[in-house]
Amino acid sequence: MTERIVEISRRRLLRDVASGLGVAALANLLSADQGPGQPGLPHFAPRAKRVIYLFMSGGPSQIELFDYKPKLAEWRGTDLPDSVRMGQRLTGMTATQTKFPVVQSLFRFQQHGQSGAWVSELAPYTAKVVDKLTFIRSMHTEAINHDPAVTFFQTGFQLAGRPSIGSWLAYGLGSENQDLPAFVVMISATDGGDQPLYDRLWGSGFLPTRYQGVKFRSSGDPVLYLSNPEGMTAKVRRRFLDDLGKLNQMQFEEVGDPEIQTRIAQYEMAYRMQSSVPELTDLSREPESTFELYGPDSRKPGTFAANCLLARRLAERGVRFIQLFHRGWDHHNNLPEKIVKVCKETDQPAAALVQDLDQRGLLKDTLVVWGGEFGRTVYCQGKLTPEDYGRDHHPRCFTIWMAGGGLKPGLTYGTTDDYSYNIVENPVHVHDLHATILHLLGIDHTRLTYKFQGRYFRLTDVHGSVVRELLA
Amino acid sequence: MLRYFALLVVAAQLPSEGAVDFNRDIRPLLSDRCFSCHGPDAASRNIKLRLDSEAGMTADLGGRRAVTPGSLEQSELIQRITTENKARRMPPVSSGLRLSPQEIELLKNWVKEGARWQTHWSWIRPERPLLPPVKNSAWPRNAIDFFVLHRLEREGLVPSPQADPYTLIRRVTLDLTGVPPTPEEVDAFVKDPSPAAYEKLVDRLLASPRYGERMAARWLDVARYADTNGYQTDAERVMWRWRDWVIDAFNRNMPFDQFTIEQLAGDLLPNPTLEQRIATGFNRNHRGNGEGGIIPEEYAVEYVADRVETMATAWLGLTAGCARCHSHKYDPISQKEYYQLFAFFNNINERGRYFKYGNTPPLVLAPTREQQELQKKAEAKLAAAEANFAALKPRLETLRRSWEQTLAAGAPSRYTIQQGLARHFDFEKPEAAGQGVSLQPGRFGLAAHFDGKGFLEAGKIREYGFYSRFTLSAWIRPTAADGAILTRAKDISEETGLGLYLKDGKLQLNLVQRWLDDAIRVETESAIPLQEWTHVAATYDGTRVADGVRLYVNGKPQPVKVLLDELNQDFRAPEPWRVGGGNGLRFQGWIDEVRIYDRNLPALEIEVLALDQTLEQVARVREEERSLAQREFLQFAFLETYGPEEIRQAWRQLVEARQQRDQLVASFPTVMVMEEMTPPRPAYFLHRGAYDRPGERVERGVPTSLHPWPAGAPKNRLGLAQWIVSPDNPLTARVIVNRFWQSYFGTGIVKTVEDFGSQGEWPSHPELLDWLAREFIESGWNVKAMQKLIVMSATYRQSAKASRALLERDPENRLLARGPRVRLPAETVRDQALAAAGLLVERIGGPSVKPYQPAGLWRELAGGNDYQQDRGEGLYRRSLYTFWKRTAPPPMMVNFDASSRETCVVRETRTNTPLQALNLMNDVTYLEAARKLAERMIREGGASAESRLQHGFRLVLARLPRARELEVLKDSLRFYLDHYQTHVEAAGKLLEQGDAPRPASLEASELAAYAAVASMILNLDEVVTKP
Repeated sequence: MTERIVEISRRRLLRDVASGLGVAALANLLSADQGPGQPGLPHFAPRAKRVIYLFMSGGPSQIELFDYKPKLAEWRGTDLPDSVRMGQRLTGMTATQTKFPVVQSLFRFQQHGQSGAWVSELAPYTAKVVDKLTFIRSMHTEAINHDPAVTFFQTGFQLAGRPSIGSWLAYGLGSENQDLPAFVVMISATDGGDQPLYDRLWGSGFLPTRYQGVKFRSSGDPVLYLSNPEGMTAKVRRRFLDDLGKLNQMQFEEVGDPEIQTRIAQYEMAYRMQSSVPELTDLSREPESTFELYGPDSRKPGTFAANCLLARRLAERGVRFIQLFHRGWDHHNNLPEKIVKVCKETDQPAAALVQDLDQRGLLKDTLVVWGGEFGRTVYCQGKLTPEDYGRDHHPRCFTIWMAGGGLKPGLTYGTTDDYSYNIVENPVHVHDLHATILHLLGIDHTRLTYKFQGRYFRLTDVHGSVVRELLA
Repeated sequence: MLRYFALLVVAAQLPSEGAVDFNRDIRPLLSDRCFSCHGPDAASRNIKLRLDSEAGMTADLGGRRAVTPGSLEQSELIQRITTENKARRMPPVSSGLRLSPQEIELLKNWVKEGARWQTHWSWIRPERPLLPPVKNSAWPRNAIDFFVLHRLEREGLVPSPQADPYTLIRRVTLDLTGVPPTPEEVDAFVKDPSPAAYEKLVDRLLASPRYGERMAARWLDVARYADTNGYQTDAERVMWRWRDWVIDAFNRNMPFDQFTIEQLAGDLLPNPTLEQRIATGFNRNHRGNGEGGIIPEEYAVEYVADRVETMATAWLGLTAGCARCHSHKYDPISQKEYYQLFAFFNNINERGRYFKYGNTPPLVLAPTREQQELQKKAEAKLAAAEANFAALKPRLETLRRSWEQTLAAGAPSRYTIQQGLARHFDFEKPEAAGQGVSLQPGRFGLAAHFDGKGFLEAGKIREYGFYSRFTLSAWIRPTAADGAILTRAKDISEETGLGLYLKDGKLQLNLVQRWLDDAIRVETESAIPLQEWTHVAATYDGTRVADGVRLYVNGKPQPVKVLLDELNQDFRAPEPWRVGGGNGLRFQGWIDEVRIYDRNLPALEIEVLALDQTLEQVARVREEERSLAQREFLQFAFLETYGPEEIRQAWRQLVEARQQRDQLVASFPTVMVMEEMTPPRPAYFLHRGAYDRPGERVERGVPTSLHPWPAGAPKNRLGLAQWIVSPDNPLTARVIVNRFWQSYFGTGIVKTVEDFGSQGEWPSHPELLDWLAREFIESGWNVKAMQKLIVMSATYRQSAKASRALLERDPENRLLARGPRVRLPAETVRDQALAAAGLLVERIGGPSVKPYQPAGLWRELAGGNDYQQDRGEGLYRRSLYTFWKRTAPPPMMVNFDASSRETCVVRETRTNTPLQALNLMNDVTYLEAARKLAERMIREGGASAESRLQHGFRLVLARLPRARELEVLKDSLRFYLDHYQTHVEAAGKLLEQGDAPRPASLEASELAAYAAVASMILNLDEVVTKP
């Protein structure tokens, strides 16, 4: 018996058998891949039905982008005072550094929109949509290295093994689309040299594997093994499935295992995916204006821009959790040069996505999140020259933004000190962010649990509180 | 909500007869709803009441008692769970927990019936129960069946009839070997009229080497075995020798207690064999972090914690990890006891920051049996060469002396040891000069003079890396205290590469990947003088640690200061060698006689390099007055160059034999192993489990709630292993037989195979579990005997057909009124297809292989090199040999619910998804298998379509298709024949899948049609399911 049948037995069988519905009919109730979610969920009326999470892997510098610190200009080159650092642990990369000269952003800041949010010249498109965004300048985390820090954001725990946030939502809320997975992941193509990603970041941990994220790829099959081999047309495949279904049905009649019915249904779902996924990824019917909005990269498969556009199309089709990863934010050296490049790749498409969702009336029930796994230090890593500097990892404060689904637009929340080193007001921990995201989806984060090894596990472990000030 | 329904199911399975049973009915309720505040964790008990012990339950707390046996009114527990007063009602609303009316009724009944208390069942030593009475005494075949039938009869159910022989042989062959039976094997079994036919079959399967591979697959999940390190870059490690040890242990039927002891403490056995040391790789299979910037102490703690938690899950079925940050909330394991277990596993000299690439010490060199044979041969050849050389010794001495005589009179000549010499720059020729470099009188003849701006490029002659051995040597006369002597590094300050430098006058060797945190940097304690000729040398032995570096000044080994010992990946730079420059530094002064060797020269030979004499000068010294280095100098010159051919040849042969042996040994795989340190590393209580919050020191020990430490056992891992397999251990045997059971029936007798604590599930057949546990121990932990017992049972041999009534009654088949029907494990799904297609290449062990995988999967995640798919045999080995990259595991395995190999996993999960359908339909692995299966159908299946289809079906499923199935197959084949005869090009395309050759003799459209049908067969539910 598979997990699926176990679940039927637990949650439905007794109830439905009691009401006279047969086992064979039951299996047909569950034709969709990820099923209907858990009973009793959502816990209350959701503000958002789905999430698009734009993960900026590597750790974008808050100092260059959103956390304006004018005093740094006059302090340039001076050592970070011990009163600010307060013995904070450093990564092994700068722990042996003897000087910690602070350095200001090379990029100019300005206030934008009615909300007056500060955004640097690196993100002119984002600057235009600030009134739709909610900035959190007081994010903080516990990890100081990429692997544990990304894992922490994805699963609420620094070590691998727990379910990712998308898996929790697929498990809890199920799918709204019969033909697509509930949790889809897309990664911007890279020319190499960036921090690696890991399949486990969208894994299901101890949840059944059907809740894991399905990676949509920009080269080869968009979903692994999606395409029929050459020499087998869709028509032939249809015939194949009809015959296969007949044989499976005969076996069902022979042994009576409802699991066989589920398998027949899953083959049909696979067949539907063979047309729904290519239809989804086919951008040829998008009007010219779409490509103008998302920028020229959006025509190139595998770019962040193309993935943002796909994210909108997935959102339109009711996919629950859509996660984009974009690498290249790990600027230990040559920060000014590198950050310009990565902002060029991401600024316009991210802003376009918010605008596009808004125009289509989707932003009100879609939550968009933009952010990395940590921020960057105010002090310089490596050589400080007039044009060049680098910054190390900084977990104690950094900026993310969110938009849509039940948030207060135009709000900037949280304050850091003049060095953007410590939070002085309204800290938001990773667990708090998770709690807030779940809340917006109608989930009490303390009640979305899964029993494993004798314990009821949660995304937020035993922590986290909803940041109510962010809510509309 | 979920919990509520789960309980209903449990309640529905309760026996209709009998009183309330504390362990079955009450403890799970108390544990789940009460223990997190009233349980073993003292820190969270902000009130005095404890419900996890009888004393706590009945303690007098100011005139009130939680439980007064027999009295609901005087039992505060009952009052508090039934009160209408919401503020007083338990569990509190804020906990999110609640008790259903049925559960409250159960608790009341228990109190009414006298509130009998029992220790948690799994903490009580299992005793062999008597076989229970059964009505249908003809049914049982062995003890298992009595327990199963007893329960069935109590439930008013009857067992299913025995499965037909086709089903039976397929089931047991897949279960015991992981590959399907051949048609010949099926025929032999079906036609064998002997009542012992099945037992003969089972014995044959248990004796097959495939059995060890099949058993090993699940143990690799337990041991979190993988081929990569698991963090960030996730580069390759080499642990397959450990994997092969496991296969071998199962095949030799090593008793499970020995299997346990060798893996946990093989190194601590008296005179451990190589294999016993390899076995300890079990505790090094955890992930290792080599990411730049990590705090090593933090990860050193994680590795030890992983060992503790893996040991607890694998053998004890306990969730010890819960006690890392606080005392266990449900089970009697205190936080201190967790760190007492921790203390067994932290006494190892390992780096918190693992090498990013390759294995991290402690290691053993782990040649395979074949390699050991090769080594024996190489040693014999070396011994022969040595003997040959030794036989020449007397003559050699005489000849050498007479040569020395001729030297004493001759013209002076310099000599350089030739063995392993990669390059020698003597700067005697004018073309050696360059910009800023002039040739001037030097230490010997001319030398290069550097003006502090120029340097000499010396080509890309040798590339030394992580595992290389080399020597750098030169005479220098510096005029400034800083400069580069000899480098192969980027010519930018603090950049990648290797180099020998002067820094503040001190000699410094740098092996750099990244300057600040990924390098070895060693320098001499004292400075060398300016303006004086000094011989300097550095050697590196390829061990990747600073300890493998030696620095010499004027031939004398120098005391050194290790500035950095954090190298964790290769340090090659795509640069030429430079003399006098590199890393943005320039030399000022003279450099002469630069030598680079492909080996790390011993001190004596370095002293030879530092001699400032000619052969003639040394020869003039009286023999007994010569230093060791002087003797060595003459000896090398004579043996390598000046001696008679016969002697030179014997020497060359000796050197070659030694090199061959060394190269062979260098090619051996290593295995990361456990190794004790003396004195032992202390262990500390860690507050909240944090590496940086140590508390009191703790000594090694085991939880006091379990059985006592065996008398006389040493207080180390060996003692711990003996404690684990002690016959008094209430857990190990139960936990292990329960997992065996899971692999046959899909679910354990205790469903929560990973948790035998109070939050675990009550066993479906507790007496059976105890009987099996005792049997296992008393059989001498005989693993094969236990497998045989299970598969010989009538319970296992039942047909899996389920009536609707039975399905509704027992959807999960926990009562076992029918045979198991569960999806095959991931590796069996693939191995079966390869075997049926005749593609499977069976060879036990060796380095992991890289079969088909869609292109780009590695690069998309990590950049750099993509998966390099194998050609030939590597495509068709059994799946347990597939290279397992933790951050991008093989998609086919993941789709079919293989465990992630990140941490210890013991629960087998099975899902049923559309991705599996796509995988089986479109993955080249299965399309190629279909194509080859089609060839077998045509070639071996006779002339008619019908017989060919039957043959294909049988190759996969062991049975023949039923009449109506055959009709569908025939109809299907007709369709494809029509289709591919009119679409010949499409037929050709379909047959291009995979590397296996396509025979020209078979006609394309026919073969394609059979291939399409074969693919359909491989997609059948029955095929991926144990029948």
